[in-house]
Amino acid sequence: MIHLGELLSAHLDGELSPAERDRVAEHLEECDRCRDELEDLAAARAAVRSLPLVEVPATALGLPEPVVVPLTRRKSVWAGMAAAAAAISIVVASVLAPDGTAVTPQDLSDPFGARVSLDPGFTPTKVAQVRVATGEFAE
Amino acid sequence: MVETASDISWEDVARVYGRKIYNFAYRLTGNPDDAHDLVQEVLLRVRRGLPTYRPGSFEGWLWRITRNAFLDDVRRRKRRPTTALPDELDRTGLVSSPAPDEVLASIRLGEDIQKALLDLPYDFREAVVLCDVVGLSYEEIAQAVEAPIGTVRSRIHRGRRMLRERLG
Repeated sequence: MIHLGELLSAHLDGELSPAERDRVAEHLEECDRCRDELEDLAAARAAVRSLPLVEVPATALGLPEPVVVPLTRRKSVWAGMAAAAAAISIVVASVLAPDGTAVTPQDLSDPFGARVSLDPGFTPTKVAQVRVATGEFAE
Repeated sequence: MVETASDISWEDVARVYGRKIYNFAYRLTGNPDDAHDLVQEVLLRVRRGLPTYRPGSFEGWLWRITRNAFLDDVRRRKRRPTTALPDELDRTGLVSSPAPDEVLASIRLGEDIQKALLDLPYDFREAVVLCDVVGLSYEEIAQAVEAPIGTVRSRIHRGRRMLRERLG
């Protein structure tokens, strides 16, 4: 009987051709010796694979330091976003004001115009003040 | 898949493969200093070689460079005395805090496995490490060591048999 030999290791690694796979499966059915050897090989393979991957020291890689974005720049981005969010909330509050007044598409084309049309007390001066306060003219 | 040199930088190689290259050398030599030096040398060669890299198996290309750098280093040193196995207790910081028995047992087992690996003749050790530590396919190993795939298969098999005998 010709035993499987190195086909057994290749079998463990999934490196057999379909024909070899069939041959190995058939042979293992009837050969104790090859089954024992397969067990031994599997143990050796598992032993090496159980070794932990050691972390590589950063000094070996020599990678440049990661670029740090200055804090002030990040703050100004967030401030801009906060201003935009505030402006949107005012617009939404205006358009959804529950006073029963219908808002036409024309009104919506200029949110501040819509607010003026809905709220007689909201004068152009106030519009300008809100625009400054929400940062629309800030930059 | 890496198609051209412009698809990848040496920094990418360092980030993606640095740890594997380090472990390749560390398991082949049992020496962290050698492994450290090898990673630096390989990255230098990758940096120089990338502009002329041609589409193909990037893994095969990279590990061929790694292997050649390793062998050049071995030849150049002829060899400084191999240091004892690194003290894994120190490395894992387990000296200062009591470890459960099973943790200590697994460290001892790891040391035994490393010692058994170091006992193997180079070709067999290399094939086993590339397969079971680095995780390359037989085809990739064949390209890396510039040997036929049948030779790779035979080396892995014989290497595992020798390991089994040594580990008892």
